[in-house]
Amino acid sequence: MADIYKISYVVLGREHPGAILNADHRPQVGERVKLGKEEFVVDEIVDLIPTRGIFHYLHATLRSIEA
Amino acid sequence: MEPVDLLRSVELFEGLTTEELEAIGAICGRDTFQSGDIITREGKAGHRLFIVYEGFVEITRQSRKPNSKPQAVVNLGKGQIFGEMALVDLGPRSATVRAVSASTELFIINRDAFLNLCDHNHHLGYIVMRNIAADLSFKLRHRNLVAR
Repeated sequence: MADIYKISYVVLGREHPGAILNADHRPQVGERVKLGKEEFVVDEIVDLIPTRGIFHYLHATLRSIEA
Repeated sequence: MEPVDLLRSVELFEGLTTEELEAIGAICGRDTFQSGDIITREGKAGHRLFIVYEGFVEITRQSRKPNSKPQAVVNLGKGQIFGEMALVDLGPRSATVRAVSASTELFIINRDAFLNLCDHNHHLGYIVMRNIAADLSFKLRHRNLVAR
C-alpha cells in the first residue's frame, strides 16, 4: 500500500478554519491545493509529528491565490 | 479496490490485521451525501462514527453570542473521521456537520456494533481506540496552529 500524507492546512491572512485531509503525495511549496470549492497556494510545509506505518503527518500553510 | 484495502487506507484502522479489517468491514455501512446535506446536528444524540471516503465536510459550532451565525471549526476531507466523541463518551453531538462537495461518500460505523466488536477482540479495540486518541490529538494540534 502506498504512503498516505495526512495534512493539517492552515490559511494565512484571513478568517478560515483550515482543513485536514489525506493526500497521496507530499505537497510542495507553490503547489495549488483545492479545499472544497476554494483553491490556495502552499506557502510552507513541515512534518508535524513522526511517521506511523504508511501515514505521514504534515502541517502546511496556505495563502489565497492572487486575482 | 477491495473493501479491506479501502479500510487499510484509513488511519483509524492502522495496525489491524486483515481478519480484523474484514470484521470492521462487516459492520461498516456506506452512504453518499450531496452538497448542503446535514449529516449530524450539534446537541442531538448520535450513535454513529463517520469516515470521509470521498469529498469534503464542514464542521460548525453555534456561538454563545445571541443572534450569531454558526462558526466553521474545520473542514475535513478524504480519510478523516468525525462523530468519534459520541462513540467514545455517549454524549450529544458537539458540532453540526454538513457535506460541502457535490458527492460526499462516507463509511458509517454503528456504536453498538463497534463496541461489541471491541468487547470480543481486545486487540482490535485497543488499536482503534489508540487511533481515535491520535486523531483527536491531531485535531487539537490543528486547532492550535489555526489559533496562532
